[in-house]
Amino acid sequence: MIAVDIRADLNAEDQTGYVWAFLDEAREPSVIVPGALVVAGDEDVPAVAVVVDLVEHPNGTIVHLDVLPGALDNYLALARRVQTVA
Amino acid sequence: MSDLPDLRDFVRVEPLPRTATIIVRGGPDTAEKLRTHTQRVRRAFLLDGDPVLGISVFAALDDVGPASLDAILSGKLSTYRVVHLVTAGQLAEAGFEMLPTFGRPHMTLLLSSEDQVESLLEVLGTAQANPRYGEMVRRRRG
Repeated sequence: MIAVDIRADLNAEDQTGYVWAFLDEAREPSVIVPGALVVAGDEDVPAVAVVVDLVEHPNGTIVHLDVLPGALDNYLALARRVQTVA
Repeated sequence: MSDLPDLRDFVRVEPLPRTATIIVRGGPDTAEKLRTHTQRVRRAFLLDGDPVLGISVFAALDDVGPASLDAILSGKLSTYRVVHLVTAGQLAEAGFEMLPTFGRPHMTLLLSSEDQVESLLEVLGTAQANPRYGEMVRRRRG
């Protein structure tokens, strides 16, 4: 099973045009920093994303995510290939 | 609560989708997921100063270009193996109001209460394979 870094509805965009989520829905909030590569979504629909920024909100901290194209499997295959070569 | 941003401030000035317009949502959805997402929207936004339950969807507003069905499936929803497809008319018939929010073609589907989650799930129907799943098209910001 995939353990996502931050739970999000990848359909949900806000005024920035990015997908948004609440920081307190992150598995390990300390890894959610601008520029970090993370897995977002849920167990059924994980996707690779870059953390764009963290914005204070009256009910928590909003995380903006730039969802990268392609299936998570593509990125996992890439990582395996790189490791094999190394 | 009153400090929350109001969805009304992010409503686009454009006609509502025609009844035949295809509405798309990356899936698969379950009642539990929909409840979680509606609560997340309620936590983040108000609508006209009141709490709001909403679900994000995309409307295939154009035949070609970034707001077309093909572009939505291959761009914003390319990370979804399956999608729910329904018409705006079917949603309206089932009692759901939609607001064109944020960047085109994003829409917010409004629920009057959590009791509507099961009804929404029924209208969304069975998720279908996304023929553009996994394509390496960079998601275009709305």
